Amino acid sequence: MTAVRLYLSNDTSSRAAGAHQLAEAWSVRSDLQLVRTSARGAFFLEPIVERDAPEGRVVWFNVTPEALPAIIEGQGGTPVQDIPFLARQTRQTFSNFGVTEPLALDEYQSRGGMKGLEAAVGMTPEAIIQELKVSQLRGRGGAAFPVWNKWEVARQTASAEKFVVANADEGDAGTYCDRMLMEGDPFRLIEGMMICARAIGATGGYIYCRQEYPAAARTLAHAIQKAKEAELLEIDGEDFELTIVRGAGSYVCGEETALLESIEGRRGVVRAKPPYPAITGLYGRPTIVSNVLTFATIPQILARGGAWHASMGTERSRGTIVLQIGGRVKQPGLAEVPFGLTLREALDRFGGGMALGAHFKAVQVGGPLGSLFPESKLDIPICYDAFAEAGAILGHGGIVVYDQETDMVDLARHFMAFTADESCGKCTPCRIGSVRGREILERIQAGEGSAEVVDLLKDLGETMKATSLCALGGRAPYPVLTAIEHFPGEFERRFTH
Amino acid sequence: MEPSIAYRVEQVLERVSAHAGTRVSILDLLQKVETAIGYVPLESLPRLAQSLGVSDAQVAGVLSYYPDLHMRPPGRHVVRVCLGEACLANHGNRVLRAVCKRLQAAAGETTNDERCTVEPVYCVGNCGVSPSVVIDEDFYGRVTPEQVPALLERYR
Repeated sequence: MTAVRLYLSNDTSSRAAGAHQLAEAWSVRSDLQLVRTSARGAFFLEPIVERDAPEGRVVWFNVTPEALPAIIEGQGGTPVQDIPFLARQTRQTFSNFGVTEPLALDEYQSRGGMKGLEAAVGMTPEAIIQELKVSQLRGRGGAAFPVWNKWEVARQTASAEKFVVANADEGDAGTYCDRMLMEGDPFRLIEGMMICARAIGATGGYIYCRQEYPAAARTLAHAIQKAKEAELLEIDGEDFELTIVRGAGSYVCGEETALLESIEGRRGVVRAKPPYPAITGLYGRPTIVSNVLTFATIPQILARGGAWHASMGTERSRGTIVLQIGGRVKQPGLAEVPFGLTLREALDRFGGGMALGAHFKAVQVGGPLGSLFPESKLDIPICYDAFAEAGAILGHGGIVVYDQETDMVDLARHFMAFTADESCGKCTPCRIGSVRGREILERIQAGEGSAEVVDLLKDLGETMKATSLCALGGRAPYPVLTAIEHFPGEFERRFTH
Repeated sequence: MEPSIAYRVEQVLERVSAHAGTRVSILDLLQKVETAIGYVPLESLPRLAQSLGVSDAQVAGVLSYYPDLHMRPPGRHVVRVCLGEACLANHGNRVLRAVCKRLQAAAGETTNDERCTVEPVYCVGNCGVSPSVVIDEDFYGRVTPEQVPALLERYR
């Protein structure tokens, strides 16, 4: 009798949802062959078990150990293409997710992997950068700077050493797509970094991986070893060293200059810009710092052409955005879609409405520095420009929905306390402003608020926005000010008079 | 410095010097000490600084900056409760309260029997199955306050 092949995700969140226990229990059975894949990103359905079928995979979801006999019999499964959450997506960068084994290089290559690097090997650095210019790719980590532009600056800056650095310090609460990429499709990140290294003439590469992601760091280390053995980490016959550096729990180290300080082993204190890292970066050398997702987007651009990438999305936000929808929605998970759908559409199509008993109150986009949107503002298109116009950010694509049980004063206090904890301390508006902001909100919480106190908070917020050195202090007031703007009653309710 | 601690610090330094030629930074070295000993003993700072050729203050500055470097021995298990926004929206703070109550330790503190250290954290990237608790390197999702006692029972 041949063993029944079952696919189970080995992603951290799938394991946390129960896939780990299932795999442990089933690993002793000789009638089962377990294949540990990346995750589909449909975390509300985890643990998910899949089987092969003539028309593709068949899926069993929210699986308990008792469901095994039915799975072996082939009863009750759903064809993967019939799951609306997945069928409504445009998976490009995440096309392998749920399908492949993360460390199977042959599988990665058989599904188009390393085609981008192959193309780049046959191109001049100028041609690679031109392709990125055509693609109109903007950095996916939050700043949305045109990628080709940075690369061109680094390429043109003469230096004996140059570096390419992947920012894997994914600190924005509500986001995990970088973690999924490193755990689930690590060769895609490596391929993107190698393309960048060729284009700018880099001599070394670093991946700065946050401490909170132990599985990602382990998988990446294996993937780097495999890529090395396959002679993929070479540029013109020279070995190209890729090094993983582990973070140590500091949020602001996700800011590119603080990250470079941290790789150099110092306190993660932000550097003043200019000079920009593309000219003076790691150890004072030209350095491209980009987010993991940005690097992972690049292989397909080289393989399929910049025009292919530019054909998706909106006028100034080309390609796809990877949304990570969570909080009080029915269907938390990852959705990759072309830019341009509205926030309401994203929540309806993928969030699936509110969790049982929850009523929508507000949604926050872009992590702890992102603005809050009330119900009346949900028709905003998800693209860089519309968000910039609204004084909001897309950040790293995190979307968190709050319900009636979230108190907006408490939430605002949480944001200021977060900034006070995480401020690197270099500039006064952020270091002192965040502490004063937290104190003011604590006064309001204690019933000592008044219209004047709220005005003081607004004034403080505007000062931090205008005068902070980096986005931490500059963006920290946004969730607080939008909480006051859209939910003034919750603040007034706490006033003394 | 307590002899056993001093010995372990020297072991770390020996391992580091065995990889001559690679850049060893202050943070690198502190992370290695933390991994080997579980924390960075303050009394080891002069020795660490000397080995790197930097001042004690530079090492102390890095040590005090990073939340994941500890200056005191943590409990046998580190219980991290996520208070990132996705977890907050799903009442991660109630989970934290349940953890603190069960362990009789405040957030950031270690239990009297040195069994557990409770650390609130901002996002562990497990938002798809929030609220999250991470004990040592084991991730748990969709944790309810009611599940907390049984969960902690696995870590003695």
